[in-house]
Amino acid sequence: MNLKISRKRFAFTLPEITLALAVSGVVFGATLTSSTSLQKSFNALDSYFGTHMQQIRIVDYLSRDVKRGLIVTTSADLQTVTITIPNYIIQAGDPEALVNPTLVGTPRTPTMAYTPSGWQVNYGNTTSTVVYSISGMSILRTENGTVTTIASSTDQLVPQTTDVELTNTEYAKTSITFQPIFTSGGAQASRSGTIVYSTAYLRNKRRG
Amino acid sequence: MRSRRLAEEGNVLICALCTILIISLIGANVLRNCTTRYNVSSSQVRSWKESLFAAEAGGDIGYAEVRKTVLDPPHAFTGWDNSGAKHVSPVTTFGANNLITSTVVDLFYNDPAGNPWYRSRSRGTAPVLGMARTGMDDRMGAGVRGDSLLRKIDFKTDHFLATYGPNGDGAGQALVPVTNPQITRRIEQISAPITPFEAAIKAAGTFYGLGSAAYIDSYRSSAGPYDPNVRNNPTDPRYVDSQSGTVEINSSVATVQGSIYGNLYTNGGTVTKKTASVSGVIDNNVPFSLNPLEMPSTATWNYVPTPTAVTGNTVIDPPVVGGVPQPGTASSPNYYLISYFVNNGNLTVNPAVINGTPKDTYVVLSVTGDIGNSTSSQPTINVPAYVHLKIYFTGNFQTKAENIVNTSGYSGNLQLYAISPTDPSLQQTINLNSGGGSNAGFSAVFYAPSANFTINGAPDITGAIVCKNFYANGNVHWHYDRRLDSEGAAIDYRIASYVEDIR
Repeated sequence: MNLKISRKRFAFTLPEITLALAVSGVVFGATLTSSTSLQKSFNALDSYFGTHMQQIRIVDYLSRDVKRGLIVTTSADLQTVTITIPNYIIQAGDPEALVNPTLVGTPRTPTMAYTPSGWQVNYGNTTSTVVYSISGMSILRTENGTVTTIASSTDQLVPQTTDVELTNTEYAKTSITFQPIFTSGGAQASRSGTIVYSTAYLRNKRRG
Repeated sequence: MRSRRLAEEGNVLICALCTILIISLIGANVLRNCTTRYNVSSSQVRSWKESLFAAEAGGDIGYAEVRKTVLDPPHAFTGWDNSGAKHVSPVTTFGANNLITSTVVDLFYNDPAGNPWYRSRSRGTAPVLGMARTGMDDRMGAGVRGDSLLRKIDFKTDHFLATYGPNGDGAGQALVPVTNPQITRRIEQISAPITPFEAAIKAAGTFYGLGSAAYIDSYRSSAGPYDPNVRNNPTDPRYVDSQSGTVEINSSVATVQGSIYGNLYTNGGTVTKKTASVSGVIDNNVPFSLNPLEMPSTATWNYVPTPTAVTGNTVIDPPVVGGVPQPGTASSPNYYLISYFVNNGNLTVNPAVINGTPKDTYVVLSVTGDIGNSTSSQPTINVPAYVHLKIYFTGNFQTKAENIVNTSGYSGNLQLYAISPTDPSLQQTINLNSGGGSNAGFSAVFYAPSANFTINGAPDITGAIVCKNFYANGNVHWHYDRRLDSEGAAIDYRIASYVEDIR
């Protein structure tokens, strides 16, 4: 009898269950909210740094090509950059390759030409053209028609490049921003706070 | 009661473990993500940039050795592995991050003036610290790579040696393991000779001149003879060549008179368009330096034992070998040692004539001492067509302007080089007088970085002058030939081309 009575006494009463459910609800609600917030924060952080890495990549691509460039031209909206670079490596179809196909993929020996503006070092009779442009959410690098996506993000990456010509050289100033996930009421500072600057000088004498 | 308490404790433990697990998973994910970012930004990006620093440092080392071929020839490429025209540097490790660089320099071209051009190929390697993992490819979507296209990291083997060989030409490919992950970048630079006559007048010290009615303009002899009307006629196709009568002064002490159809540079001067008649740019912040001039290497020159002096009328004909006059070349001219040049000596250098046809003939004279040592001296130098004469002298130079007779049609065919005195207390001088009111001039170029240069009278000059202090008090008409900007023996080198092998 005592045992039966004891078992019955161990059962939860309705108020107990209600209270337990309420407390559990609060706890699980808090946990869920916290987890969601944590996940959102993590996602925003991940996106921020991931996009930042892409900013660095764009800058590094541009700097590499500007340094070895001969001419740099930016579009009026500052979002397309065209760089003329020497043809250092012999490609299939080049005059040297037609004469000797084994030269394909080898460095070209430069030739010197005396021009009205002085001596000029040329790698082949032609040059290559590299174009940086924006296509949708992607930043494209196009070299002689071959397209490479160098950055791709839903964070609205916006590179802007200014080309400044000096007497014999020029430099390209690039700034890249993106729209982070977390913003403060859509304030402009949310985007401008992500800006990365870069300045790259031509190593060669400017030709254009 | 005990068993009930145990059950309750177990429930709490499970909840605590689950909470710890969830938080740990979140923490681990954050940590993994941060580490990946850190790995890319701090290690891979940094190494990629540092490897270029290393390669460019190697390029600078090679460039410094190239400059020594002019500025300090006995010590050029000392300690390098030299084989003919190819020079291989030792491997240099430097910096807190143990960057590694090495350079191969080769002489690959001689220009028409006989000056060598050098190509230097440098490689720079930076170790990649941190985890041996690739970078941000996951951000780019399926089939699209990001960082690994740009930053080629050698984790296990040197990909360049394996794919392209040590010289990048596909020969000697080998699978070479690397001790630690690393990034290597390669650049190629071309060192071009700087020739002495890139301006009409270049004075390392003070400047006074010319006369108030004097002018300095330019033309290009290869595009036609000098025409005094071109400089004021913008519609003339040769007008573009008429505005390069540039004057460079490495001093703030400059009295500039007359008209300059070109640019004017000073070092700290106060010249403006209002104080001087200058058609081009005025820049008062252009310092430069001139190195003392030493006798260049004669190793490749063809030494001819006679004559050994210029006395009275002295005629130099080219040496004859096997019945054929030897005209020499720009890089291997006929070379004469002249122990003295008498005050009124009359020197004539004739071209080689082969089968009745005169040939371009290259001659170098090394004169010990003065060429004319007083105002009464009137040594004469005659350079007919087809002769390319360079005269190096260790003393002073004094004559009348009209005694420099260059009828070859090109001022660059008579080049006079004043070797700098080894005793710095000695002041070298070059004095040219019109004499007797004559305005007859000369066609020649002077390179005299340690000499004070004086022109009295108003001769008509075609050529260029590089000197220490410059003084001219007459209404000189000075015509700089733009063809001169590639003429003369190299006085230094500049980097003329830069490319990176991005493979």
